[in-house]
Amino acid sequence: MMMHSNALNTNQIMRQVMYALVLGIGAAYYFFGWGVILQITLAVVTAVVVESAFLSLRKLPVKPAVSDGSAILSAILLAISIPSIAPWWIVVIGVAFAIIFGKQLYGGLGNNPFNPAMLGYAFLLISYPLQMTTWAGEFLGLSQVIDIIFNLTSVDALSGATQLDEVKTQLALGKVVAELDVHSISQAWINVGFLLGGLYLIVRKIITWHIPVAFITGMVVISSILYFINDQIYLPMQDHLMLGATMLGAFFIATDPVSASTTPKGRLIYGFLIGVLVIIIRVFGGYPDGVAFAVLLMNITVPLIDYYTQPKVFGK
Amino acid sequence: MLNQSFNGGVVIDNPHPVDTVGIVSAPLPDKVVLPLQQRIGDEAIPCVKVGDKVLTGQVIAKTEDHFCVPIHASISGKVVSIDKQIIPHKSGLKSKCITIESDGKDQWAEYKGCGTDFLHCDQATMIEYIQSSGIVGLGGAGFPAHAKLEGIQDCHTLIINGTECEPGIMCDDALMQHHPREVIRGVEILLHICGAQRAIIAVEDDKQEALNSLLMYCHNERISIEQIPTKYTSGAEKLLIKALLDIEIPSGGFAIDTGVICQNVATTKAIFDAVVDNRPLVSRIVTVTGSGVESPNNYEVRLGASFEHIVSMSKPNTHQHTIRMGGMMMGVDVKTTSVPICKITNCIFVNKLETKPSTQECIRCGQCNQACPVDLLPQQLYWYAKSEDTDKAMDYNLADCIECRCCDYVCPSHIPLAEYFSFAKALHRKTTEDQYRTDIARERFEFREYRLERNKQERTEMMAAKKEELKKKMANDKVQKDKIAAAMARVKKTKKANDDA
Repeated sequence: MMMHSNALNTNQIMRQVMYALVLGIGAAYYFFGWGVILQITLAVVTAVVVESAFLSLRKLPVKPAVSDGSAILSAILLAISIPSIAPWWIVVIGVAFAIIFGKQLYGGLGNNPFNPAMLGYAFLLISYPLQMTTWAGEFLGLSQVIDIIFNLTSVDALSGATQLDEVKTQLALGKVVAELDVHSISQAWINVGFLLGGLYLIVRKIITWHIPVAFITGMVVISSILYFINDQIYLPMQDHLMLGATMLGAFFIATDPVSASTTPKGRLIYGFLIGVLVIIIRVFGGYPDGVAFAVLLMNITVPLIDYYTQPKVFGK
Repeated sequence: MLNQSFNGGVVIDNPHPVDTVGIVSAPLPDKVVLPLQQRIGDEAIPCVKVGDKVLTGQVIAKTEDHFCVPIHASISGKVVSIDKQIIPHKSGLKSKCITIESDGKDQWAEYKGCGTDFLHCDQATMIEYIQSSGIVGLGGAGFPAHAKLEGIQDCHTLIINGTECEPGIMCDDALMQHHPREVIRGVEILLHICGAQRAIIAVEDDKQEALNSLLMYCHNERISIEQIPTKYTSGAEKLLIKALLDIEIPSGGFAIDTGVICQNVATTKAIFDAVVDNRPLVSRIVTVTGSGVESPNNYEVRLGASFEHIVSMSKPNTHQHTIRMGGMMMGVDVKTTSVPICKITNCIFVNKLETKPSTQECIRCGQCNQACPVDLLPQQLYWYAKSEDTDKAMDYNLADCIECRCCDYVCPSHIPLAEYFSFAKALHRKTTEDQYRTDIARERFEFREYRLERNKQERTEMMAAKKEELKKKMANDKVQKDKIAAAMARVKKTKKANDDA
């Protein structure tokens, strides 16, 4: 007859995170069109099918695990990280990889050391770099998107690289930052959408402030240092914050509690170092954005961070 | 009101509030069952036989164990059996009890204490009265009161715990509202015994009535009454001391190590009864509450009466019930209401039978470590407790867990964390013991091997020495023999020469 608090249970927490994603997804829909929605649908269907199949293979009850929403949430996070016009098999393979190798093979929810969505993303980015970096250039209607995703028409006319990719190419060609138009209305609004959603999660006490604040601080500190060293080839921090997957990463990816550090102090270290790594990978690495790799790299360090950042116990 | 407090803890409203907190005097039970095993120490040995007539307050069992208090008859009547009965313990096991059938007269044994001007009594006498009156901590822990008061050197503050350890329990609130005079006098006795400069009575801020009635009777400038925020685990001794004095008792240490003594208000009142009248503890106030009763209330009831005796007075509804002794957080589930009320029975929860929410996986959300009043990381402890890696769990300070269940309460996956921790603690104890035994066995074996080897060596050395000696002796013998032979030869020679001559 042990009593439980009236606070949210695990299923409700997952659902709240999905609600918090709505603003960011809405912004992405506004700029890129129906592809965003279609990718999410494909991802969710794949996640449910793969998770159910795997659970039955493991002879575990299917319904409670699928209805906890964790697989669906991972699928949504992966779907909004990939280009809205990527072919259908990209998202299907990515989600299947994330669920099987990122989650179920470790023992399912709560046992995975890596963020499943980011593991799926990294897998796709390494295996299919072209499809993973070709983004929609404008709002696309449903029929157009269906044609593209299911490989019925060529995408060339409608697509382009992301802003971060573009900046990288231009800098490599010898231009300086001042000459570039790094601003991207669409990316800024999507980032704002995820930022607002993230603040909602903090207000609802679903995540704590530690990881997002440390993440953004890490980015600001390292990008400011680089900008101070040479403002010709390094972007200022405000551009970094409003480009790429910054806010999605800070509030929704790095805060995945299962794979993140769990102590208050540890969360600050974990978030800060992800922020630093994101900038380092963006600036010096071979890929346009660094959130996925930064998160995965820091996932590895979590047991170490947790062990050395235990809070002082009462009376010790 | 205090600003400082300990970290964590959870705020839980009284799930079954009442308009006025009263005390109903329960009728004399027809029969009482008194367990001989107390919370700690040896089992008491009966000093009555079946068929003996006993008076209320008469000692019926005692032990030599200094940590124990004697057991008194709580009604007058006849001892009808001394056998094993079910006691309120989570194991559901039976334990030896004395059963007394009431004669309905409630005749008391004679007793004499220090009287109302108790200050002329010396401390040792008072402590003896406290022990012989059978007083243990009535807040739920059951630690013998005299053991806390003996041999005190430097005590600067006495804390009287009136915080009501868990939501739903009202017995201490009722006591403070209806017996403030006895509580205050009890505090004065305790101040006299422990020699502290000041006493603080801690009352939670949702108990305004209790505070007012205490204030009305408190005219001693050494006694102050402090309100503390109503938060679960404030009643835990170490955390209460932290909240009141901002003193952190070291892990593994005791309150007295920092010069503080803590007693519960009900214990304090019982000490007043013991010292002034030397009247033994034969009754206590018990809260009956929960979703299974229509009118939650407090009852002054004789020890050893069955749970049923007072539960029936709170109008239980017709649902199927679960019974729990103690609070909803740290209490223990018992199977029936036929078990006896003990000194530690502060509350009986009667609840409608409900299906538990199913448990899900831990997602390491960290709500547990925010709720933990001793700043542990339950999510990490859970991981290691589940995989039975007790060494690692001990690294994460498993031993400091007070099993208050705040983590269980907030867990969004409804994991019974505290149960895992209590299991892991037991496992650790067992492995440590096993390890100790193995070590001892190995040491003994190694010593035996060493001893055998040493004996062998000693024997060889001895043999060698003996041989040497023998050889020497033999050699010596040969010289002697030669000498003798030479002498003989000489004698023979002389003899022959004489003969020849």
